[in-house]
Amino acid sequence: MKPETDQILMFSAIKLASEYAPLIPTQYGQGMAQVVAALMFMSAQEYERAADIRVSENVDMRALFKFLAPQIADAELRRDMETAAATREESLRISSLNTTNEALRKVLIALHAHLEETGADTKPVWDVLKAMASRRVLSLPG
Amino acid sequence: MTDDIAARLEPYLANVLGAPDLEIAGLARIPGGASRETYRFRARFNRGGTQIERALILRRDQTTSLIETERATEFRAYRAFHALGLPVPEPIALEESSEVLDRPFFVMEEIENCQVGSILSPDPYGAQREKIGRQFFSNLGRIARANPDEIGLADLEGERDPHLCWRHEVERWEKVIDEDEREPQPIARAALRWLKRNPPPPVQKISVVHGDYRTGNFLYDSDGNMRAILDWEMAHLGNPLEDLGWAIDPLWSHGDPSRPAGTIPREEALAIWEKESGLRLDTAALAWWEIFASLKGLAIWISAAREYGDGRNTDPVNAFSGWYCLAFHNKVLADRLGAA
Repeated sequence: MKPETDQILMFSAIKLASEYAPLIPTQYGQGMAQVVAALMFMSAQEYERAADIRVSENVDMRALFKFLAPQIADAELRRDMETAAATREESLRISSLNTTNEALRKVLIALHAHLEETGADTKPVWDVLKAMASRRVLSLPG
Repeated sequence: MTDDIAARLEPYLANVLGAPDLEIAGLARIPGGASRETYRFRARFNRGGTQIERALILRRDQTTSLIETERATEFRAYRAFHALGLPVPEPIALEESSEVLDRPFFVMEEIENCQVGSILSPDPYGAQREKIGRQFFSNLGRIARANPDEIGLADLEGERDPHLCWRHEVERWEKVIDEDEREPQPIARAALRWLKRNPPPPVQKISVVHGDYRTGNFLYDSDGNMRAILDWEMAHLGNPLEDLGWAIDPLWSHGDPSRPAGTIPREEALAIWEKESGLRLDTAALAWWEIFASLKGLAIWISAAREYGDGRNTDPVNAFSGWYCLAFHNKVLADRLGAA
């Protein structure tokens, strides 16, 4: 679709913040309109990247589980990691990607805690977490 | 709706102020955070033959609140620190029942002709940033210096054992995350484990902790005077470094973490706080409380996301907090803890 959704959201956010919000008669209404404009600005960013973020995170977590599973002595955790590493995306809908992402995050938390408890190197986990956090940072207008 | 509030508030306030002819005018809602509805209004009445007009603020509970906060705590903190001479609005009335305005509320003085710094602004203070920054950290030091026993706040919530107050706060916010997370939070969980594994040294002095001392929670005028410290609803007893760590958190730095709160260089800010608080600044302890601050932030943003996502409080501020701020603090914590 042209114009693309992110462009519509971005231009609408600018219109709302700069032209329509000042016309609202109350300070409260103006303030809330500015916040809504910021949310639209952030939504424009997310439209373009949302699926990519989730797929990338899921790929990273599966690769980590596959890499570390042979070193994990805890049988139950190792089995959870192997099972998670073998999953695939069932759909590229955000809701489906979120379901997979949340299941993988649970295993990641258990793995991280286990590595800490056993004194093992946690750098591979932190590398994945840092990449996840960086991808999800949002810019503000202005 | 505001007409209805004014009509019901009028006889209540007339009784509280002993002014039977009191009239309320110009009641209008203003931005004031997601935990309370905030309104400004004028109260006009006659006293001893003199016509008086007072600019006042009404803070009424939301039907749901981001973080469960005690309005009585906030009111008492306003009263204690106003009396101490800090720039804090004078509290006027506290009503804890729902009989007058359907929900509990309190009324306080309005500090007029001021503005509040927005997190959305890259440079809210302009040429006044250094003047404001010095007052900001000086006033925080004065809060830390105050003796809770001497200002009537000795019974605030919090842990008074110098060895345990850090744990009390960690467990408080861990509970919020446990109850409110809508998706697994691996960075928050890692931070919680790190904080427990690496406890800070015992607190030098138990103080009143404001709980949310930051950009956006104080008023300043066009001459760069800090006129009012607001939003004491999370006040509690604890380690004053909790407030300092929160105040210098990168989220409030307007893009320049070397100038906390977007004001003065970090070293100057810490030196001012140390001088005004009368406490020795333990940098290792502060480093722990800075990690804690970002974790506390995550807990608050997770709670905001829950309120918004469940449709209980669709204030757009909750969406912003639960999205932008959550992503921001995840990045801060991943970079800090993952660097070791």
